[in-house]
Amino acid sequence: MSKQITPETTTTVNEGPLNLYKYRWLFIGISLLFLLPGIYYIAANMLDPEIRAPLKLGIDFKGGTLLEYGFSKHVSQPDVEKIKHVFDEHGYAGSVVQIQEPRVGINKKAVEIGAERTAPSQAEAPTMTGDASAEKAGAQTATVTTNQHEKQPTGEIASIVSVRAKHMQGQVDQEILKDLESQYGHITVLQKNSIGPALAKELLSNGLLALVLAYILIVGYLTYRFQFDFAVCAVVALLHDTVFLLGMFAMFGRLFNTEVDSLFITSVLTVIGFSVHDTIVVFDRIRENLKIYYTKKLPFVTIMNMSVNQTLTRSINTSLTVLLTMLALYFFGGETTRDFVLAIIIGVAAGTYSSIFNASVMLAMWRNRAAAPQALKPATA
Amino acid sequence: MFKNPKVNLLIIVVLIMASLWTVVKDKDNIRLGLDLKGGTRLTLQAEPTPDVPKIRPADMDSLQTVIERRVNGMGIGESVVQRAGENRLIVEIPGVKDPDEAKRLLGRVGKLEFKKLDAQRQWVNTGVSGKDFTKADVATQQSGEWIVQFTLSPSGAKKFADLTRELAPTRAPIGIFFDDEQVSAPAVNEPILDGSGMIEGNFTHETAKELVDTLNAGALPVDIDVVEENTIGPLLGQSSIKQSLFAGLIGLGLVLAFMILCYRMRGFVAGMALLVYTLLTFAIFMTVGVTFTLAGIAGFILSIGMAVDANILIFERTKEELRAGRSKWKAVEVGFDRAFPSIFDSNTTTLITCLLLWVMGTGAVKGFALTLAIGVGVSMFSAITVTRTFLHLIDNASGEPTGAPVKA
Repeated sequence: MSKQITPETTTTVNEGPLNLYKYRWLFIGISLLFLLPGIYYIAANMLDPEIRAPLKLGIDFKGGTLLEYGFSKHVSQPDVEKIKHVFDEHGYAGSVVQIQEPRVGINKKAVEIGAERTAPSQAEAPTMTGDASAEKAGAQTATVTTNQHEKQPTGEIASIVSVRAKHMQGQVDQEILKDLESQYGHITVLQKNSIGPALAKELLSNGLLALVLAYILIVGYLTYRFQFDFAVCAVVALLHDTVFLLGMFAMFGRLFNTEVDSLFITSVLTVIGFSVHDTIVVFDRIRENLKIYYTKKLPFVTIMNMSVNQTLTRSINTSLTVLLTMLALYFFGGETTRDFVLAIIIGVAAGTYSSIFNASVMLAMWRNRAAAPQALKPATA
Repeated sequence: MFKNPKVNLLIIVVLIMASLWTVVKDKDNIRLGLDLKGGTRLTLQAEPTPDVPKIRPADMDSLQTVIERRVNGMGIGESVVQRAGENRLIVEIPGVKDPDEAKRLLGRVGKLEFKKLDAQRQWVNTGVSGKDFTKADVATQQSGEWIVQFTLSPSGAKKFADLTRELAPTRAPIGIFFDDEQVSAPAVNEPILDGSGMIEGNFTHETAKELVDTLNAGALPVDIDVVEENTIGPLLGQSSIKQSLFAGLIGLGLVLAFMILCYRMRGFVAGMALLVYTLLTFAIFMTVGVTFTLAGIAGFILSIGMAVDANILIFERTKEELRAGRSKWKAVEVGFDRAFPSIFDSNTTTLITCLLLWVMGTGAVKGFALTLAIGVGVSMFSAITVTRTFLHLIDNASGEPTGAPVKA
């Protein structure tokens, strides 16, 4: 962490170890460089006739049915085609069938139930397809997987299979279940989530509207508390965080089949709300320093550099505590919220960077350009 | 709050006791969302038909009454039927065995029939049904009694006139059946010839309204569409709740360790305040009746990480003030005062996004927004008042240099 800087009472000002303004293009360049892969994947998704959206939309936004089955028999890759075929027969061609990694809690119960039986060949265990589920689940805890290797689940639920299909109505899923059970024995429906296309469209437009409103309200609030140029710079930094986060998930969508749902929009909004925290802390210090050094006629750039350095430790520490709780949730929490938590982690990390290295630097560049000679205007709320 | 830390301490202790009492008292009544206890959530949408080109709020009242009646008829406690938007109902049924049966039962239009008793005192059809009904209303008589008024369609009026002419002499009852279940059986006092009549009989406003909604629902030719279905098996729920609680404890422990490592004594004090925060917030959740969902728990855990942010801002500021040569007490006070604007501003932006999520979001999203917002609100109290009180008390009691510079 940085050396602590005391507020100066003399005219010689110690700006701190980090000269942000001097390396401003470097810091902005780093941001742009990090945005590039995401932007590439967003473009790739847009051009993909299968997706035609910046991110791979889940059933929340596209409509469809997600089923998660707990098979009592162990299923492996060849079964995927057979399961797919059952869905084809019922008119749901093109359904995506994936074998999920064994999950603590569910398969653990299975272990307890089937403990007396001997475990089947271990080699069979994680026959994964290297696709979404494999990658996502692979990010689970190592302890879980090792545990599973020791005690291969054999009981009530041996394998978890997820299926994404077009929106199902009526009793079709019951018939499909019956057909599957005739081949595989008892199957527990772990979850079913089905959303009609019209509702999905509405959820998507509501979500996007919420994002736009969040931006507008935050610019409004910051303009009210600070000044308009402060607000604009904060929002450009926010935009950076949002685009980075969207880009990462566009990439996950292409590489691991990760889809975005309502919870993703929630995480983006949370990131928007949180990542201005650090920016506000720096801006608050700039505002205070502008008042303190008003008579000293210090250039804005100096004030900015000083303020960022003075608040550096707290910017990093406040983000760290949030990251600590989110990492705990990522590694030990449930599968359902894992992507959601990952999005918050990525967003908060990006937000910390942009608050320190982008927002204030841009503000200084703006002020330098706008009012080069009389750089000092106290920024009162 | 108050200048005297001892008064503050007293308030804090009272709050802790009250919270503990709430948590212990209600620990068995924690409301778990469907994603945690398993169950089915259905979103039903009323679709206009040629007869009802536009769905009005009154139509939704009727529909809701009917759906509630049906859901309760399934005999599974704690079901919730909520309005959502202009034309939707959200139905949550915990632990349902057969979601498809539930869907079939809820996703159809109600059947309203008027029956009479035959010679064997069995209910038989009269040919008068919901189609013959125009509308029902709650009204009061001059005596102030609540009654139900109803109007029939022209064709219905004729059928009803014949029926009541037959039943009136013996004051025989008309059985009103909804979905083959008897909802009322008023005796016919006199023939109803002009197509409008009334039902009286010790109604309260609520019971009258319920009958009105049922009658109207039977006359409501809207289609019901199941636009969303979400079923979580109980196994999945059980496993998720344990994982989330475990993750929450780990998160709390990590934050405590981080604060103590970074800020030593003051970090420890902040950690104590964080425990108070966790307890208070949890007690508020239970008092308000927050339904815990996975996303809600995530919001709570996130708020634990955010709650100490205020302390970090304050402590860093206190360090600066100490270096500038202020006394311990003064440094703490200035630290709190100077850090406040940024704490306030940053929490406000989070509350703005919570508000948007609450307004725009559905189920899980709302739960997250609510827990995060409550958490942020309580953290303003715990991180500022509780920490300040603790710090001053330690300072007073032991002369411990609460504001002593620590390694950053």
